[in-house]
Formats: sequence, C-alpha cells, structure tokens
Amino acid sequence: MDAFLTGRAFSDLLFGIADGVIISLIALSLVLIWRSTHILNFAQGAMAMFAVYLGMGLLSYNVGFWWCVLVSIVAGVVLGGLTERLLVRRLYGAPEINPIVVMVGLLLLLEAVMGAIWSSTPRGITTPVSSNYWQLHGLPLGLSPFTMLEIGAAIAVALGIGALFKFTKLGLQLRASAVAPEVSRLLGVRVGRMLTLGWMLSLGVGTVAALLFCSVNGLTPTQMDGIFVYGFAAAAIGGLESPTGALVSGMVLGVMQAYMGDYYNSNDIPFATLMLLIIVLMIRPQGVFSKKITRRV
Amino acid sequence: MSALFRVGDALRVYRDRHPVLWRLIWTVVLVAIAVYMTTHLSATTDGLLATGACMSIVILGLSFLTGASGQVSLGNAAFMGVGAYATAIWANHHTTTPVAVVLLIGALSGAAVGLLIGLPATRLRGPYLAGMTLLFAISFEGIVLFFGSWTGGDAPLQLPTIAVAPQWFVDRFSSSIPLFTLNQMWLADIAIVTVGVSFFFMANLFRSRTGRAMRLVRDNDVAAELVGISLPHARVLAFVVSAAYAGLGGALYTLVTGNASYSTYSLGLSITILSLLVIGGIGTLSGALIGGVIFAYSTTWIDWIVGKTGITQGGNLAANLPNIIFGGLLVITMLVAPYGIAGAIKMGAGKVSRRFRVTRMPMASG
Amino acid sequence: MIGSSVRRVATYGAAIGLSAGLLATGLAVGTASAGGVPGVTASKITIGATVPLTGIASPGYSEVGKAARAVFNYVNSKGGINGRTISFVLKDDCYGTPNFGCTGTPNTATQTNALLALPVFATVGSLGTPTQDSVRNLLKSNGVPQLFVNSGSHDWNNPGTYPNLFGWQPSYTVESKILAHYIKATYPNQKVCYLGQNDDFGTDGYQGLVYGGLTPSIKTMYSVTSLVLGGASYFTPFIHTFQTSSCKVVFLDTIPAATAAALGNAHSLGFKPHWVISSVGSDPITVNNVLKGKIKPDPEIGATSFSPLPTAATKSPWKAWITKVLLKDKADFPSFKASSPIDGNMEYGASWGVLFAEVLKQAGASFTQASFVHTLLTNAFPGTPSLIPLQYSASNHQGQIGGLVDTISSATQTKNVGSGVVYKTDSTPANNVTVVPGQKPAGGPIPSWLS
Repeated sequence: MDAFLTGRAFSDLLFGIADGVIISLIALSLVLIWRSTHILNFAQGAMAMFAVYLGMGLLSYNVGFWWCVLVSIVAGVVLGGLTERLLVRRLYGAPEINPIVVMVGLLLLLEAVMGAIWSSTPRGITTPVSSNYWQLHGLPLGLSPFTMLEIGAAIAVALGIGALFKFTKLGLQLRASAVAPEVSRLLGVRVGRMLTLGWMLSLGVGTVAALLFCSVNGLTPTQMDGIFVYGFAAAAIGGLESPTGALVSGMVLGVMQAYMGDYYNSNDIPFATLMLLIIVLMIRPQGVFSKKITRRV
Repeated sequence: MSALFRVGDALRVYRDRHPVLWRLIWTVVLVAIAVYMTTHLSATTDGLLATGACMSIVILGLSFLTGASGQVSLGNAAFMGVGAYATAIWANHHTTTPVAVVLLIGALSGAAVGLLIGLPATRLRGPYLAGMTLLFAISFEGIVLFFGSWTGGDAPLQLPTIAVAPQWFVDRFSSSIPLFTLNQMWLADIAIVTVGVSFFFMANLFRSRTGRAMRLVRDNDVAAELVGISLPHARVLAFVVSAAYAGLGGALYTLVTGNASYSTYSLGLSITILSLLVIGGIGTLSGALIGGVIFAYSTTWIDWIVGKTGITQGGNLAANLPNIIFGGLLVITMLVAPYGIAGAIKMGAGKVSRRFRVTRMPMASG
Repeated sequence: MIGSSVRRVATYGAAIGLSAGLLATGLAVGTASAGGVPGVTASKITIGATVPLTGIASPGYSEVGKAARAVFNYVNSKGGINGRTISFVLKDDCYGTPNFGCTGTPNTATQTNALLALPVFATVGSLGTPTQDSVRNLLKSNGVPQLFVNSGSHDWNNPGTYPNLFGWQPSYTVESKILAHYIKATYPNQKVCYLGQNDDFGTDGYQGLVYGGLTPSIKTMYSVTSLVLGGASYFTPFIHTFQTSSCKVVFLDTIPAATAAALGNAHSLGFKPHWVISSVGSDPITVNNVLKGKIKPDPEIGATSFSPLPTAATKSPWKAWITKVLLKDKADFPSFKASSPIDGNMEYGASWGVLFAEVLKQAGASFTQASFVHTLLTNAFPGTPSLIPLQYSASNHQGQIGGLVDTISSATQTKNVGSGVVYKTDSTPANNVTVVPGQKPAGGPIPSWLS
C-alpha cells in the first residue's frame, strides 16, 4: 500500500491535481466574467499579476506575508471593478471583435507597465507554508503543506462562490442580471452594479490563482500568460456558462498533463490540449457542463 | 470647373460599368509606382518594405475573415507558418521552381490547413472559436516538431539558396550599386507585385456575390439562412481564404528572410497581426497596407522616440515603451476609432466631400 | 457621388502618402563604397551582432553583447587597432520569438539584413542556435563572416559548407565528455539520470556523455514551451521519477530557468542527488533569482559544472581588467560598481570581445574578409581569458576545446574543483579526454597593448 502511495502513478495524480487546481481557479474566474458580461477577458492573467506585484511589493517593507496576500486580493478586486467601469462599459453592444482587441491591448499595456516598473528579472516570494512534500518511509507523498493550501483555497473559493450564487439575494441578483438584464432592471436590480461586482469577484478569484502560481514560479510580468491559455481551454471545455464545468475540467486537464508529461512526451501537451478541446467542442459546442445552447434562433 | 465634374462623372460611369477592369488599372498603376520607388530607396528601406508587404497580405486575409464574415481568429501566424514551411520544404526538394509557383504552393497549403481548422470552426461561435484558434497557434510548434523529418525539427529550415536578383534585373542598374542592395530591391519588387495581385483578388471578392453573402452571414445569420446561404459553407470559405492569404504571406516571408522557423510564427505574432488589423482598419484594403507599414517600421520609430526623449537606452522603460504604446493604441483605437486609421481617414474625407456636394448647386449646367 | 471618388482617392492617397512619408525616413543615398572592404574605412571598422536585448531570453543574455561592446569601447579609448575604432552594432532579435515582452516584431533574418545594409564587416558574437542557424546561408551568400556564434551547437563547425562560420563556446559534446570523465572518476558505478532540453542542446549533450563512456540509466527531455506554459511544477513528475529510481547523480542540460525549476522541485521532494549542470544553465547568480532566499541553504551549492573561463574564485588578472572595462562603459552598465560581481554572462562576452580585438590586431593594417579569416585560421590566440588558447584550423571551427570542472561554492560564486586541472577533447565519438599539462586556471596573459 505504501509503495503504491509513493509510487509513480499515484504521485502523478496528486501532482496533477495540484496543478489542475490553479487551472480550475483561472477557468472559474473567466467563467464569472463571461456569465456577467459575455466578454472573454484576455487580460485576466496580467491583471491578476499586477495585483500580485502590488501586494507582494510590500514584502520588501517588512509587511507580513498574509497582509500582503490580503492587499493583493483587494488590489485585484479594485482593478477588476475599475476595468469594468471605465473600459468594459463602453463595449456593450459592440461587435464581438472589439472587446477581444481591447482586452488584448490591456494585456500588452499592463505587462509592459509591469516590466517598466519592476523589470522582467524574476522575483521570488517566500511563503510561510512549506512546499516540502510529506515523506513516507523516505519517499515523498505527492502532497505538501503548500499543495494542501492550494487545494484548500480552491475548495474555499468554489464553495464561497457557489454559496453566494445559490443562497444569497446578491447571488440571485447577479444571476438575474446576467440572464435577463432588462427584466432585472424593471424589478429594481442595479444591473450596472452587478456587472461590476461580477468583474470584481472574478479578479478576486484570479488573483488567488496568481498568488498560488507565483509562489512556486516567481513573479515576472508575463508569468501568467501560459497558464491563462490552459485556464481558457478548461473553461471552454467545461462550458463558459458553467462554474462547475470550469472547476472539473481544470482538474482533468491538470491530471492529464501530469500523466502525459511523465509517461509520454512533454512536447505534445499543448497539441493534446488542442485536440481535447476540438473533440469536446465538436461533440458538444457549448461545453460539457453547460445547459444552454450556444445560439438561439 | 464644370468640365471637371463632367470628367468625374464619366470616370464614375466607366467604373460602374467595368468594375473589374477599373480595379485592374488602378492596381497596375499603383504597383508600377511602388516598384519605381523601390529602385531609388536604400537597401534597409527596401528590406522593410518587403517585410511590410508580407504582413499586409496576412492582415488582409484576417480582414476578410473578421470584417467580411465576423469570425475572430487568433491563429493566423500559424497559417503563415504553414505557408512558410511548405515553401521551404518545396524549395529544398526542387530548387528551380519559379517564384510565382512557389508562392502559390504556400497559399494552397495555407488553404488546405485552413479547411482542416475551418471545419470544426463552423460549429463554434465567438469565444469558443477564438479559443480554438488560440490553441492552434500554441500547438504549431508541436506540430512542426512532430513532422521533424520534413521540417527540420527544432532547427530553422533554410532555403538552399537565398533569393537573389536575376541577371536581367541586375543588368539594368549601374555597377556601382552593391549586389546586396539590388537583391533587397528585387525582393521588395516581388513582394509589391504579390501584394498587387492578392489585393486585386480580394477587392473583387469583397464586392462579389460571395463577399456580399459573407457580410450577410456576419450581420444576420438567420436572414442569410432564409435567403438560402449555407452558413457552414460560408464560414469555411472565409477560413480557407484567410488561411490562403496567410500562407501566401508566410511563403513570401520565407523568400525575404531565407528560412522558416516555428518560433517566428508564435501566438505573439498572431496577436500582433490582429492588433495591426484593428489599428489599420478592419474591412478595408488600405487598412491592411497601413498595418503592414506599421509592422515594418515599429522598431525604427520606437528607437527614434527613445532617442529623442532621453530615456535610458536599454533600461526597463525603453524596453517596454513599444508595448506600452502599442497596447495603449489598441485600447484607445477600439474605444475611440473602431474603424482604425483607414476608417478615420475615410470618415474625415467623407466629411470634406460632403461639403463639396452641398456647395455644388443642382442647377449648375455642365 | 463625387463624394465617394474623393473618399477613395483620399484614402488611397493618404495610404500612399503615409507610406511615402515613412519611406522618406529611411531614404539613404548609396550605401557601401564600391571597391572597398565592406564595413571597413581608414578610421573605422563596423561589426554587428543580433542578440536578445528584450524578451524572455534577455535577462542575463543581454549582458553578453554589451560586455563585448565595453571591451571595444575600451580599445577605442586607447586609440583603436591599427588606427581604426571598432563600432559594434547590437540589433535586438528577441531570440527570434515575437512574444509578449519583445520590442516590436523582431526577426533574426530581417535584423541581419539591417546589419548587412550598414554594411558590417562581419557578425561577431550573435547569440542562439536556431537564430544563427537561420542566417547561415544569408551571410554566406553575401560573403560576410559569421564569427564567434554564442552557442555550443556543433552547427558552427562545418568548414566544408560554411568556411567563414566560426563558433567560440565549447560544444555541448565537449563539455559532456569532460564531465562524464569527471563523474566516472568521482562517482564510480553510481546511477546517473539525465534531464535535457529537447533540441540539439540536449541531444548533443546526452551524446557527449555516451561518448565519454557514461550512459545514464534514465533519460528525460523537457520542452521549453511546456515549461513556460505550465510553470516549474511541470518538472515535478520527472524529478520524482528520478527519486523513486534512486538516482545518485543527476545531469542537467538545462537553461537557467529550467535549472531553477529542477532544483526547486527536488528540494520540495526531499531529493538530494549530486547535481552536475551544464555551463549553459549553471551560473549561480542567474539561477538564484527565483530561488533566492526561498530555499536555505541554496540548493545549487555543491553542484558540479564546467567552465572554459576562469572561475569567480580564481585570482585571475582578467577579473580586475574586466571590472575596469565595465566600469568605463556607463552606457551599457549604468549600475555596475567596482565591488559588483562579474557574472558568467559578462565574463563570456568580454572574453570573445578580447579575442576579436586580438585577431583584428593580428590581421594588420590592411585586410579583407578572406585575409581576416585566414589570420584566424593560421594563428593561436593565447592572450584571452580562455583557459586553453584559441586555435582554429581547417578542421576546427568550433572554438574552445576544453576547460575545467568547477563547483558552485556559494549563491554567487564558482570555484575550481581541486587544483583546477584543465581538460581538452573534441566532438568526435572517441573517448579522448586528456589533461592539458601546465595550463593554469587563470586564463592567458593579458597582452600589453590591452592592459
């Protein structure tokens, strides 16, 4: 039994889950924005990164780690709200290509600003939570305090968002504003505020993902670019309308990549992800978990 | 004064009666002027022109896909790469094929892959399509490595001999001009002629029945179906055309640079192409030209700006200034002038010409 | 209706006008002098290189070309060579990968064309394997020598097809053969595992180990793209497999980012093998940017590597000389102080910069591209920091043929293993690593005209 627990196959599963959790959170954050404003936020990774730079920059002033985390999340939330108010508002009703280009422009702009201020030399963060894997008879078990933190944070976020949507009045208003804005307005819901809130929630989740990712990989302006693509793939596979789908497909993708990299060939991971996306979307264009069809006649 | 109006009217009638011929004449004239100009420019400028020409062809293809049929693709650099590698592989096996045929091969291979990607794309909308093309862009490297025995794997695939000006071309110039300059001139001329041909075709396609059908699909797909247009066909066709143009641009780029390398055709380039399309102006021919020029000259201009404003050379700000400007331009363009530079000029010229019309009295006899 | 004609004319006119105006910014009257040596005048020689000044490869690598430029500036300040100043033009090719973070739309071939248009006498110290592979035919057909390419690929050692193409860095094969020799002597009969990059860096590096008589039990290749996309934890399954297979020695043919990922993951897994790291990815200052402070003690300490140049701990007169030269070049090194450490990139660039200056001096007052190459092929150049004097020949265009084994002694320093024995070998399959007798680990003597 012990040999199995520390063996290759089971360990890869655990490593994959830890990686998948981050992909899930990014996917969830993209779904939150999509549900509220029907925009694919290409700048999500960069915005979250910016928030992390702001918060973690305080570490050099001897501010406590968890305070820095809090500042990062707050910064992310504020940034999300500001972006919606100032930029995204002007894009409602515009052709599809407009928001994509604006968010790509924002991505380039933010990364360049981060590079100009903080340079592209990687910076490390020391977390108070150890990343050393627990050992069993001298071999590592695929979990460490840090990966437990990752999984715990993801569960907390998922449950929190889920509870918000399902059990609170605010959550109901958020869902109503996304599905039927005109009717909601008539019923007294401040739709504009709900949209802003959607962005704020999304960036909060995105910043948590970025904090986790950067604790392992260090901070550079373009750090989140790569994992954003996988997060997007997971969101699309799960269905852009479905938070559950985002979480599940993120995990599946993470585990698939871990096994593929270890047993097969790491070159082909991006291509395999593409194939998975194509196959899923051919069979079910609205994503696996989505209940809506993609277009109404 | 009234004679001018009469000439204008006559030209207009001719243009409406023989649109294709009209466009052909315009194309030939413009290409001739451009080719003449290249013979008086420096090697550096000719090199930049050739590069800009390649990109404007690719941008035009994306313009058709997005402007005409409303689909967003983030994978056009990968289609470019397909054409680039097809050209390089062909040239390594058959060294004496004429340039025009080689370029055609590039375009056709782009079209073939466009068909492959376009088919699943018919079922996808908006962000799903964008995402699929995004992943295609990222997997391009893996695909090149997978077919390593053909593509050379991770090493760039060089052309066996770089494209040089033929003897009849060299003989037309004085011997004091270095051969390198003449080669750059030759490449620029090939590029300009290719631009002329491809733009000519696109102009006709835009205004043909197919083009109009595409635009209807973009604006109101329900109405299009009611009129009997097959949506999947139209969408796939748009993909194929856009990919063919991208492949052509890639093939030309391989001629200009002498090699094909997957790292050139990255996601970053795809996004740059989209951005240049937006800044230049979606759905217009001149917009694609403007986008190409910006691509070629961006580094030069930025260096100039950095030099003039005294920012530390090579410092963080200098290295990131280009993207600050570029990203900022994208955001501002989209919010303020969504039709890009070409669109803004058209509207500005439209305002001016409306003044003309108002002051021309309807009773003025000819 | 005139309106729409006016509009069309206006649009095309504006497009053409815009283009013409832009072209005007690039107009130049004639380029090279006909009949002279391109890039050479009576008072100046112009050379160039394409290097990653921006982009993911730039931290670290951008310093290499600048250090060489600092050397040339120093030479110019002393009157130049044979009356000519050296003008060294660096063009950014962002490692040929136009991604976010690059300035503009870099492409090695177009930047090389820009150099050819200046014109340049030769390209010296351009960086990267795929980037420089892509312009070999271009430079060859223009008759411009491609000198001292910064990469360990064996592609530069092809005198039959590319007689004017030269490398400088020891090939990956040479480095691996020497390290294999060291591993067999120091860790006899212990299990060796290999992690390498999935291009010729890894393929040649692995092959060198085999030529040196050492065949690793496990061989894993990583892809840089997957590392960039997925982050450092993408390495965890590989390292874990090494651990569960009880590898005692792990050989890394990795770039610094990948070295950091491997070391970090191994630390988390509680895996402590003997690390042997290629010189490409072992510079402690570069590797430790991410690991800095996170992991104590620094996990790279004690790792073995290879160096063809003096290590940081050696008392080499070159150290003081390079410090002097870098201090003088405020434009390229604005924040360098007398007490700043010289990292591997600076030492690397300064070393081939010195080599070029020496060859130029040897070439005489009047030379052509052909005679310059002849000078390079028929002389030895002992007066550079290289541990073994450079000696190119008709059969060796690779460059350096050996070096010493060193160890990472601190977060910023390397030091010789033992007394700093210098080894040499070649890139052939023969198991022929030999000691170079009497070779000091401090590099060659500083020529008087340079000091």
